[in-house]
Amino acid sequence: MMAVAAVVGVLSLVPLPAAAQGPAAPTTWGGCPAEPLAFHKCALEKAKTFKPPRTPGGKPDMQGYWRGQAPAFSVEGVAKTDPLTLDPITPWAIGPSLIVDPPDRKIPYQPWAAEIGRRGQNFQKYIDPRTACASGGVPRVAHQDASMLLQPSGDDYVVWLFEDHHVERVITMDGRPRPRVGENIKVWNGDSRGRWEGNTFVIDVTNINGYAWLDDAGNFYTDAAHLVERLTMIDPDTIHYEVTIEDPKAYTRPWKVVWALVREKDPGFELLEEACLEGERDLPRFLELGYRHYFGESWRSR
Amino acid sequence: MKNGFISSMIAVAVFSAAPIPAAGQVFSPPRTPDGKPNLQGIWQVLNTAAWDIQDHHAQLGVPAGQGVVEGNDIPYQPAALAQKRENFANRLTADPETKGYLPGVPRATYMPFPFQIFQTPNYVTIAYEYAHAIRMIYTNGSKHPTGHIDFWMGDSRGRWEGDTLVVDVIHFNDQTWFDRAGNFHSDALHLVERYTLIGPDHINYEVTIEDPKVLTRPWKMSMPLYRRKEPNVRLLEYPAGFLLQEEAQKGK
Repeated sequence: MMAVAAVVGVLSLVPLPAAAQGPAAPTTWGGCPAEPLAFHKCALEKAKTFKPPRTPGGKPDMQGYWRGQAPAFSVEGVAKTDPLTLDPITPWAIGPSLIVDPPDRKIPYQPWAAEIGRRGQNFQKYIDPRTACASGGVPRVAHQDASMLLQPSGDDYVVWLFEDHHVERVITMDGRPRPRVGENIKVWNGDSRGRWEGNTFVIDVTNINGYAWLDDAGNFYTDAAHLVERLTMIDPDTIHYEVTIEDPKAYTRPWKVVWALVREKDPGFELLEEACLEGERDLPRFLELGYRHYFGESWRSR
Repeated sequence: MKNGFISSMIAVAVFSAAPIPAAGQVFSPPRTPDGKPNLQGIWQVLNTAAWDIQDHHAQLGVPAGQGVVEGNDIPYQPAALAQKRENFANRLTADPETKGYLPGVPRATYMPFPFQIFQTPNYVTIAYEYAHAIRMIYTNGSKHPTGHIDFWMGDSRGRWEGDTLVVDVIHFNDQTWFDRAGNFHSDALHLVERYTLIGPDHINYEVTIEDPKVLTRPWKMSMPLYRRKEPNVRLLEYPAGFLLQEEAQKGK
């Protein structure tokens, strides 16, 4: 939604100091450097020797409140010179790319898709669906807000709840024989099937409707997307979170992002209700300014 | 003939080892590792309470239904009864559910959509397909936060009384209705829900509703919850707000 920010930027005559951006980000997570590529390599090493606590059923116990440590502005990172870092309303935090593969750390878009993501058409013409109170989608919901992992009795399901727009992910574990839902059913958060590989919780996500963005910059996937997430504890309070994203309609090859989930240890912490739609009052203004609701790639041709 | 009588008694005992409890006998539910009744699964109601929680005949698009309110009477204070009638008259636009808002409690239970119950020793979590509403029922002995807090889905703290999960729910706003017929509440709403497995695939669900700003006394509703038995069943999504936005933008 760059146009709004630009208009306000022009009207504001006094540049804000860059320091007005909040406390400095920590430099390590679980003893590993916070920079995603360095974290990725260090964390996988630590995971080899860390012995996680176990549930009564003998699975790694990842239960509790977690907070993602990846700013959601752009998965490709935000450079120091980016004008949005000076936005007077929501300055974008400077940060590295979350992408660890491919080596150039950019989304391997097909040429048509590169015009649309990366603050292209999506960002300039459409209302961020998360702003419109739809689900942030997967993996965006896990970026930076609080969530709760539950491993209910019986180990048939893992439940991942997000405070952001009360998103619920029910992950069916492979102990339950159950075919996938038909490919013509497409949902915001996909259909998730989970399994354990050693101490890693692997989640396979299909049936994505492609209506969610990947970040604030309008990076996107389509309804052909297929994700594989891998969660591995590297110490009692840190999870290495990795997602491989493939989408033959939008990308030339699969790509991978990594960040840390850190245990929320505030005493008495609970996920609270976030009733977005019920309180949202700005959507009519965005529509008046000429932005449209985003309903995935297929809407563009309507 | 004594022996014949005894052997026929034994025969009856053998054939009676069916799981359905005899009248007056309590069902012994399957249990989680920590010894509590296992309420987990995907459940749904089979009534018309979402349209009207009281007895009602059919309207176009609305099936007839016998109410879920005990005694069929909701003891509104006089001014509240007038409000209810006004709600009913304007229901097609005034019902907050038409805006895709969170449905509140207990309406979330009897919307015509499935929901899934998950249990750990400290939490009973209910994930509703409708508007992906979530309720966290804390069974860890914690108390309601101090308030008043204006939640849409309330704050739920639960405990086990024998084999019944008893849930105390407070901290509501006054923005939700109990049904499409305009039955409503204030922010003083206080619910006590009771979930009891009465068979392997049935939960008896009861709610006592207390609201001193609207009612002259508490009232109670009850209904069975039916287990969804299809082998491939799972929660899908009904993103109510998004669907309304999509409808509004069509053809523009």
